[in-house]
Amino acid sequence: MGGACSRNQDRGNEDNSRRVLLRRFSKSGSLRWWASSFSCPSVDIQLRKGECPSLLELCILKINQDIDKYGTVSMLPRDISQQIFNKLVFSQRLTDVSLEVFRDCALQDFYLGEYLGVNDAWMDVISSQGSSLLSLDLSGSDVTDFGLTYLKDCENLMSLNLNYCDHISDHGLEGISGLSSLTTLSFKRNDSISAQGMSTFSGLVNLAKLDLERCPGIHGGLVHLQGLTKLESLNLKWCNCVTDGDMKPLSELASLKSLEISCSKVTDFGISFLKGLQKLALLNLEGCLVTAACLDYLTELSALSTLNLNRCNLSDVGCEKFARLENLKVLNLGFNDITDACLAHLKGLTKLESLNLDSCRIRDEGLINLAGHRKLNCLELSDTEVGNNGLHHLSGLSSLERINLSFTVVSDSGLRKLCGLSSLKSLNLDAHQITDAGLANLTSLTGLTELDLFGARITDFGTDYLKKLKNLTSLEICGGGLTDAGVKNIKELSSLMCLNLSQNCNLTDKTLEFISGLSGLISLNVSNSRITNAGLQHLKTLKNLRSLTLESCKVTANDIKKLQSTYLPNLVSFRPE
Amino acid sequence: MKKEDTVKLISAEGFEFVIDKEAAMVSQTIHNMLTSPGSFAESQHGEVTFPEISTTILEKICQYFYWHLQFASGKETEFPIEPELTLELMMAANYLHT
Repeated sequence: MGGACSRNQDRGNEDNSRRVLLRRFSKSGSLRWWASSFSCPSVDIQLRKGECPSLLELCILKINQDIDKYGTVSMLPRDISQQIFNKLVFSQRLTDVSLEVFRDCALQDFYLGEYLGVNDAWMDVISSQGSSLLSLDLSGSDVTDFGLTYLKDCENLMSLNLNYCDHISDHGLEGISGLSSLTTLSFKRNDSISAQGMSTFSGLVNLAKLDLERCPGIHGGLVHLQGLTKLESLNLKWCNCVTDGDMKPLSELASLKSLEISCSKVTDFGISFLKGLQKLALLNLEGCLVTAACLDYLTELSALSTLNLNRCNLSDVGCEKFARLENLKVLNLGFNDITDACLAHLKGLTKLESLNLDSCRIRDEGLINLAGHRKLNCLELSDTEVGNNGLHHLSGLSSLERINLSFTVVSDSGLRKLCGLSSLKSLNLDAHQITDAGLANLTSLTGLTELDLFGARITDFGTDYLKKLKNLTSLEICGGGLTDAGVKNIKELSSLMCLNLSQNCNLTDKTLEFISGLSGLISLNVSNSRITNAGLQHLKTLKNLRSLTLESCKVTANDIKKLQSTYLPNLVSFRPE
Repeated sequence: MKKEDTVKLISAEGFEFVIDKEAAMVSQTIHNMLTSPGSFAESQHGEVTFPEISTTILEKICQYFYWHLQFASGKETEFPIEPELTLELMMAANYLHT
């Protein structure tokens, strides 16, 4: 009775969507709920209302309820015991005692990232999976160097995640030196790893992905990566010990596709060692001490499509070299001292899909150079000097899906230039001079899913225009001008998942009554309003709510807790707390 | 009950369960056996033998089939599973795609 095997090895996509979400919700208060909900295994079994559970699912749920009654599940096919294991981890019921049930089960995946209580005592059962174990996530655990010695028998291990493991040092690396099947290895934020310990990396010849983000002691150790000809991705973000000399050994890594060295000490000289990396597609130099001179080397990287030069202190000097980076699809120039003169050299980069000019000294005239960028789908102009005349040059960018115009000088009348951008999904208009009159110009943008009007001066009158934007999933209006009457219009936006109406101090419990029909909401913020405990009852219907923020209201943590325990099982983050 | 509307499921010990064909079809495996023309002897005789499934487990499986039909018609009750049967039941459920 064998079972069909289904594996989900690559969790990279999930990481991406998480990042997008984190960015999207960065204004909505606490982020803990995202962190906790995404560290769990991606597959979960739960009963869906109205859908008949299979007998197998019922059995898994049964075992999950009383795992302590079982001695072992090793007689089951591997994929079933894997499902039981995943369910226990997801529901936080797995302990060092119940773990014993899984001894010798030939499990392939142990996703125990951020799981409470994981330490060396767990390692014996983990290692008993032997050559079956392919993927192990112990991030955030108390596992020590000694614990890692147990992994010697897991010779087929392909993926090992030891992020945020504070008790692992160079000695621990010795313990994994024989795991030559490893293709993915991750050691984020490890203070102890040094050049000496990294010598064991030279034996991990199949390594394709190595993550050493925030490891402050690795200077001099990259020399041990020299022979790793299969290495495709190397993350050295926030390793501020990394210098130009550390770049030299990387010049041998012909397979390298992605290199991140943001916030290191690397200068133009260090970049010169990279010019032979013909497969390098992504280079992240954010916050490095480079100048436009490094662009000379980058032009030799024929595969380069993503370049991050955020906060590099670049000026217009030498920026004519950008014109030669014709294959770029993603370019981040945010927080540099560049002006329209630099933009003129981007005119020929027509493959650009994403351009970040956040806080650059860009004016209206500069944007004329972007008018031909028909593939551009994401444009970041926040904190620039762009105004209404500049938007005129963007009105033909039919691929544009996301544009950020927060803290620009764009005003209501300028928004008319956006009304033809029918692909637009995300629009940030967080600027004081935007008012109701501006919203009147947006009603044709019915594809919008995200609209940020955080600091705009929107009143009840303006919300009437929003009614047409039926696809909105995220909306922020925090300028103080809304009353309950305006929320009455917002309640018709039935796709909403995230709603931020904080700082509108005239909103009352009536607002919550209007919102009660928006059953798709997962995040709600109505801080600084006149909402009281009595109004909370209207939220009972918001079964999907995961985050609720009601700071500076007449609401107590206790009352939210009561609501949570009886009606809102998915609520994981709330304020006041 | 007409004979063609029922099937006979036979346990490892030779115990026979005669149940509605509709109920047995809840199992994807049995469904395939009974509907793929000619390829299984089972589809002609309406009889399936399970040499690896004990009588106790096969009885529980049959109960599940009927519970499933009830559930599908809107009667959502709880299906009881005794802890001592769970593991064996899972192996059978896995085999039967149930």
